[in-house]
Amino acid sequence: MSLGERLEAYLTRTWGQPVRVADLSRIPGGASRETYRFAARVGGETRPLILRRDPPGSLIETDRNLEYLALESFHDKLPAPRPVAMDAEGAELERPFFVMERVEGGTAASPFTVLPYGEHARAVGESFFQILGTIAAADPAGLPLAQAAPAPTREDCWRVALDQWSDVIETDEQHPQPIVRAAIRALRRKPPPRATAVRVVHGDYRTGNFLHDGAGKILAILDWEMVHLGDPLEDLAWAIDPLWGHFDAANVAGMIPRADALAIWSRTSGLPVDEAALSWWSLFAAVKGQAIWTSAAKEYRDGGFKEPILAVSGWYTARRHDEILAAMLLRLEGLRALEGLS
Amino acid sequence: MTPSLPDVLVGNFLCMMDPGPPEQQGEFMAGKVAIVAILSLLAAQETERGVAARVAENIAIRAVLDEAAADYGLDATSLPSTEGLTFSVLDQVNAGLRKALIDLHEAIEARGDTTRHHEILYLYARMAELRRLDLPPLPGR
Repeated sequence: MSLGERLEAYLTRTWGQPVRVADLSRIPGGASRETYRFAARVGGETRPLILRRDPPGSLIETDRNLEYLALESFHDKLPAPRPVAMDAEGAELERPFFVMERVEGGTAASPFTVLPYGEHARAVGESFFQILGTIAAADPAGLPLAQAAPAPTREDCWRVALDQWSDVIETDEQHPQPIVRAAIRALRRKPPPRATAVRVVHGDYRTGNFLHDGAGKILAILDWEMVHLGDPLEDLAWAIDPLWGHFDAANVAGMIPRADALAIWSRTSGLPVDEAALSWWSLFAAVKGQAIWTSAAKEYRDGGFKEPILAVSGWYTARRHDEILAAMLLRLEGLRALEGLS
Repeated sequence: MTPSLPDVLVGNFLCMMDPGPPEQQGEFMAGKVAIVAILSLLAAQETERGVAARVAENIAIRAVLDEAAADYGLDATSLPSTEGLTFSVLDQVNAGLRKALIDLHEAIEARGDTTRHHEILYLYARMAELRRLDLPPLPGR
């Protein structure tokens, strides 16, 4: 059976009436999920939908149940697709998947392009950090996500996050990485202040992971596969990591100045930005990135070198993050970045 | 480092050999071709600079290890070395040297040896610079 036929069988069984799948087409990107757009024809109507299916090997091991619950939690509070169906066992599709409504008319920027938002960078940036503040403002206790996402204590947010990603490096590393290991030790030597609140952390909130209309409006926040509860500064630090800066040193995320981004986030979330804590989470963000790229390199090899997006992640982005980490480690010691370089 | 240059070039071949099912043609295939093109561009840089970068990194790490050997009880004569200039041989030696560097750095931090700690941080910056890959300014959409 083709994928389309499998999808038809699943939806027909689930919805209790005949469903025809049309225009099934895989979308580029999405290294941790196979993503397809399709139309479901049912009861005389056509529903534009997205299928997110676990690949045989993925960039990161993630929980599609949490991703689904995150969409349930936020689709009515901010621009995010409405979830439609999920099967953690795979059912007719053989691998775990979920289906969500398709948001039409938007585009996602590649993180490695310059000036992707053009004259609308300011508008996109204000919206981008406002939405992130909205996520951070939500009380997790009242959200569907709380059914499945464990909540760390405020004191333990940093430790849980650092343990998770340092374990990934320990498990997946195929070549010794002294730079990221030095960063992990630095993070453990000087933990951040306890979190001001335990909130929803999107986990991969960055440029390229949302659809925008090309005129300054964000249409949908995507890629919730790493969602969890933790210190909301984790998301903020990830969003402003230099890797996602579109080679624009004057702004964060290729959008707006850092101070503006932090002010918008703080105003919307109702939470302060402690610079010492954000500094810790910024170094952590680069460690987390390096862990993800380390896994990508392993998956690329384990998968027989057939997914080129994993090669980009495990190669180019890994080396960018080594540069970022090395510069951060020097700054932590009050050393100038270029001293000692010949 | 992983993936190696040969891994990437073989991977580019393998991923294009498999046409995939109909739903993976069109936009997805166009995206895959674009990624393969980027990898080819990066591979050109690695071909030009990769061997020299590995040789330079191995020399730089060995210099740090040699300098600290007496103070930290390192047997510098047991460290791997090579006259070879292939990626695989240089990476094999590099792995041994990096492991020794990680151990040394941990010992230096434990002892509070700030001077050497800073020297190693500068070494990291140099290693990252040597391994750097550059993308051209790809235009946004």
